[in-house]
Amino acid sequence: MSNLDLFLQTEKLVKDFGKLRAVNGVTLSIHQGDVHAIIGPNGAGKSTFFNLITGYHVANSGKVLFKGKEITKVPSYKRCKLGITRSFQITSIFPKFNVYESVLMALLSHRKVTSNLIAPAKRFFKEEVWRILEDVGLADQARHTGDSISHGDKKRLELAITLGTEPQLLLLDEPTCGMSPEETENTMVLIKKLAEERGLTILFTEHDMGVVFGIARRISVLHQGSLIADGKPEEVRASEEVQKVYLGGTA
Amino acid sequence: MKRWWLILCLLLLVIAPLFFTEFYLSILCEALVMTMLTLSFNLLFGFMGQLSFGQAAFYGLGGYTVAMLMTKVQFNFWLSLAAGVVMAGLIGLIVGFFCVRLRGIYFAILTLAFGQLIFFVIFKWHNFTGGDDGIQGVFPPVYLKSPTTYYYFILIIFIASTFLMWRILHSPFGQTLKAMRENPERTEFLGINIARYQLSAFVIAAAFAGLAGAIWVPFYRSVAPSYLTWIKSGEPVMAAILGGPSTFFGPVLGMFIMTFFHAWVLGFTHFWPVVMGILILTIIFLLPGGILGFAQEKLKQRRERLASSNEQP
Repeated sequence: MSNLDLFLQTEKLVKDFGKLRAVNGVTLSIHQGDVHAIIGPNGAGKSTFFNLITGYHVANSGKVLFKGKEITKVPSYKRCKLGITRSFQITSIFPKFNVYESVLMALLSHRKVTSNLIAPAKRFFKEEVWRILEDVGLADQARHTGDSISHGDKKRLELAITLGTEPQLLLLDEPTCGMSPEETENTMVLIKKLAEERGLTILFTEHDMGVVFGIARRISVLHQGSLIADGKPEEVRASEEVQKVYLGGTA
Repeated sequence: MKRWWLILCLLLLVIAPLFFTEFYLSILCEALVMTMLTLSFNLLFGFMGQLSFGQAAFYGLGGYTVAMLMTKVQFNFWLSLAAGVVMAGLIGLIVGFFCVRLRGIYFAILTLAFGQLIFFVIFKWHNFTGGDDGIQGVFPPVYLKSPTTYYYFILIIFIASTFLMWRILHSPFGQTLKAMRENPERTEFLGINIARYQLSAFVIAAAFAGLAGAIWVPFYRSVAPSYLTWIKSGEPVMAAILGGPSTFFGPVLGMFIMTFFHAWVLGFTHFWPVVMGILILTIIFLLPGGILGFAQEKLKQRRERLASSNEQP
């Protein structure tokens, strides 16, 4: 178990925005191979916590450790090279790249060939790109530009792009946000499949409790920046404090 | 043959001296050299998404380096050209170091400021650079002296550097630049150090601009501070917008149209800027995306219409 605990850890992580303490001393371990959900009401600090792990924000105090190495102040592009990749709550893709080129870009970056000035980019990593596109079910849309596909497909494209960086830890910020129930269902199946087949560790935030309890193997609950519960889905569901601030609320 | 039009254009350029007067041949030389400057500008603007308003400074630096080395210390022609490219690249590295930290209008303004700074240094430093007199008497080697031979020399450099630029833009590096234009945040979260890649592109663009200036000055036999002004920097901006900055050959077309139109219009009026202004306005309103950009968009729409009408029956 000690090896598992050395995957991603945060220690007393704090982030302030002016007088607002968005993340208040969160100490948490994410185990390798887990599908781990971070939940909490709006403004609980989920996104900020995410941003501290991916390097979008830098913590005021506390530590982030990845595989035993401190990365608290490492810039985001370097964290990506270490194996931490993210998706965004508001889908972030390359609007004028086609689906194929978008995934290729991630591979070019991850496999460190972006300093190549002469060879045609399209000759690289054909097999890998097609495999990812088939895995996420976008192969038949490979030639469509990012801005011309449906909302659900854009979300899947972003997932495909993140897979291109061959991550060990994948952070998904509301992966089913704005999807129809059917798309949500498909995405859940897909995320589960990816975690199993590729041995990915997935950390995600989500509003939809159906999704959370459907696929998460561990759940952590944030409330006003603090961690109030952490454990297996049934444990979290049973926690009185969680019920008080969150599950039992008007939602 | 998919690229028949490209072969045709090259063929026309090769046989141009047969039917061009010496005046129009020199206009053609200017068009080729200014096109190299425009391509260097568009590497940053059309592909990386940053508007440089100081690209002429590097063009001028290349030219001044060649002129000073050749007239003051009788330096070898070829080595002077190389020195011009290196000088532009080096200054590009310093200027770029500051500029790539900024985006959008701030990047444009800072490149403009650096461009004007370099211009004023050359303009005011009379006993080193010749100040507003510039430098005269820059002669190419004897075997390149006739305008026709020098034209072919420019043409070869033009073709080689355009080909190189094309390769760069389609390489993984070029793809990275385009990704930064499309979505810098996403690109950074793929593990790309934005500032480093923008700086590399800035230096490459500066070196290309320097090469353009370096080969132009021995043809024109002189160099003047006006080569570095923001007015000169504006020419590639207008050419790119005219031809279509999102396409590779759009800026080439734009600069050819501008240079020849300019030469022709000057034959009967001095109000060239008015004519140019009307031309740019017309393009912006009637052909958004520039000439080639607009044409490409229309072709794409037609293909998609055809494709969807094929699916229906």
